[in-house]
Amino acid sequence: MAANKRIMKELGEINTNPPPGCAIRLAKEDDINLWDVTMDGPQDSPYTGGKFHIQIVLPKEYPFKPPVLTFRTKIYHPNVTNDDKGAMCLGMLRADEWKPPNKIVDVLKLVRAVLAAPQPDDAVEAGIANEFKTDRKAFDKTAQDWVKKYAK
Amino acid sequence: MSRSHFSRSPRGNQDPTFTRTHSHSHSSSNPINTLGLPSPPPNGRRSSMGVEVRGMRRLEQRRNMEESHYLACNARAQNYNPPVDLRLLDYVSSYDNNLMCAICRCPFVDPVILNECDHCFCRACIRQCWNTNTTYTPLGPRGDCPTCRTPAKLGPRSATSKILVNLVDELIVQCPRKDDGCKAEVRRCEVQDHVNIYCGYTLIECTGKDCTDPVRRKDAAQSCLHYGASCLLCHKELQQWKLEAHWRSECPDRRVHCEMCKSPVFHRELEMHNKETCPAISTPCPGCSSRNKRGHAEAHAKSCTFAKLAPVLLRQQERLDEQEAAQKEMSRKLEVLEGGFTNMQGILFPSQEVENADRRSGDSNHIPYLRRSLVSPENADADAPTNDFAGFDWNFSAADVRHDGASSAETFQNGMASPPTRAAPAVPGPRPDDLPEPFSSDFDLASPPTFPPSGPYASPLHHLLSMHESLRDEMTRITSALSELDGRHSMQILNENLRTREEISYLAAQTAGLQRQMHWFTSAQLQRQQGRSPTPGASGSALGGAMMDAGAGAGVEAAVGAVSTAATALRGAARMVNVGGSASGVGMRRGTSEEGRTKL
Repeated sequence: MAANKRIMKELGEINTNPPPGCAIRLAKEDDINLWDVTMDGPQDSPYTGGKFHIQIVLPKEYPFKPPVLTFRTKIYHPNVTNDDKGAMCLGMLRADEWKPPNKIVDVLKLVRAVLAAPQPDDAVEAGIANEFKTDRKAFDKTAQDWVKKYAK
Repeated sequence: MSRSHFSRSPRGNQDPTFTRTHSHSHSSSNPINTLGLPSPPPNGRRSSMGVEVRGMRRLEQRRNMEESHYLACNARAQNYNPPVDLRLLDYVSSYDNNLMCAICRCPFVDPVILNECDHCFCRACIRQCWNTNTTYTPLGPRGDCPTCRTPAKLGPRSATSKILVNLVDELIVQCPRKDDGCKAEVRRCEVQDHVNIYCGYTLIECTGKDCTDPVRRKDAAQSCLHYGASCLLCHKELQQWKLEAHWRSECPDRRVHCEMCKSPVFHRELEMHNKETCPAISTPCPGCSSRNKRGHAEAHAKSCTFAKLAPVLLRQQERLDEQEAAQKEMSRKLEVLEGGFTNMQGILFPSQEVENADRRSGDSNHIPYLRRSLVSPENADADAPTNDFAGFDWNFSAADVRHDGASSAETFQNGMASPPTRAAPAVPGPRPDDLPEPFSSDFDLASPPTFPPSGPYASPLHHLLSMHESLRDEMTRITSALSELDGRHSMQILNENLRTREEISYLAAQTAGLQRQMHWFTSAQLQRQQGRSPTPGASGSALGGAMMDAGAGAGVEAAVGAVSTAATALRGAARMVNVGGSASGVGMRRGTSEEGRTKL
């Protein structure tokens, strides 16, 4: 109950004062643990103009367990797995790194920051990370192509 | 939470008196007896002691009973009213973010301070956090600070600042039973007491005899309310004590206030209200693309040009739709009518031509009675086809009426004015309403109604068939009338001819008589000349006589010529009569056909 209260509270806060470029709603009216986020690609990044659909699953133990964040839209990014799961690797979201005081807003802000500035050293897609490090132009181009292809 | 419980326990009230009496009797002698165990008296005050022991036992029994009763009550009460979770309360007063636990995002509940980093959390939150994240440590609750990851353990209660505790305890909250109707707003530290002792909406055990069902505290003063009743509004059957809650939150017929516009509506109509009538819900402007609250729609309409035009546009649209529908129907009608007209023309064309020819050659005065005889002696059913054709705007009616005089005109007008005897013919004007629909399903046949009037038709196919039938009847009637007329006329001509022939024969006889007389005269003259011729004296005279005879002969011959001329003239007259008779016969025939047309 207390966890629900906290989630409700966070949802209320995030709806009254949403983080930049994000639109949040519940995926299902009656399931408060499943959030749908639509995030605009940050400016000054190859993802500009794209709309990325992110799903956040809040575990039953939230806030003591980290939320699970997945990209529903395919994205060419070293920190997002390039499969149908679209799992994102954020240090903050790892079980041993997660801190209960963290809020979803913080997570979303971090996601946006990672979109703007990929972290190739913490990558899940080594190939993309490599390309990002060695051939930035090719990476940008592919990322833009993917945005046009999937994230419109 | 539980502190208040124990403070008001009946045992707490009971115990002091009990211990007092007990200690009064045994205080100096045996400290063990404070437990209430009977013990043998150490000295000679046996009798008084025995009484005391017996009384003690009773007291003890009573105490046990009361305690078990209390425990049972307490268990039930706990069941009805679980302890208030302070995190779920609605806070009336605003609070600083620094008073908020980072984990549960609520004002601290029983705050503790970590002894290494001085971060503060609710005790339950930090315990749960460590229990979830870290393995069990026998050394007691310890782990990393959820905020700064410093390894720490819980500080003692005394470490928590009293100021912090007071700050969060002073916050005003709403009663957790506010959904049931309790409007109390109390300090957070008092909310448990409020629920347990004061709140009228807390469930307690029913005061009724042999009834253990829960009832709200404010209703407990009344007699037992656990009997069936039905809701006055929705007629649902339920127990009396639940009625109020039912009215408050369940009954579909209850009055609620719309969250948007604050106006009272029935709960079951709330959805419809939100959808359709609520003035606080935004709707698209009918003219422009903006959205406005229904309440502000008028203000917007004043400023928006398109909104001003909206009613007009709407009406236009409506009218357009109407017109389109009407036009569709009309065009279909027109199609049908055109088809009908071509059909009718095909049927009527020859007779119309004949009529026109008659009109050119015929003389209306020629046989006026014929027309009358055709129209007036018709039997009743002949009126109907006449009616049919009265519908046509043919150009003979006025002239014919004029020619035929009053009787014919009367018949004609009667025919026009008389109500139709059959349903099939289409006559403009009032029609019985029991006719089938003007355009029935068999309407697509190419045999539609043939009349321009827009009155309702019977099935057009039927109509056309009946028209055809009536036309055929008319034709046969005309044919019979024609033959009759023909006969009558020829009889007349015959009579006339007979008389003329008699006269001619009489004339011819007289001419023959004259001829004979002339003959006799000439022969007598010749004989006289032959008698005189032998005498010479007579020769001169004879010559003179001959000359005179010649003159007479010439006169006779002239007379004979005149007579013959007269005969020729007579013969010519007879011929002429014959010719005239035949001509009049033709004329009459045509006249009859024209009459028939007139009648049609």
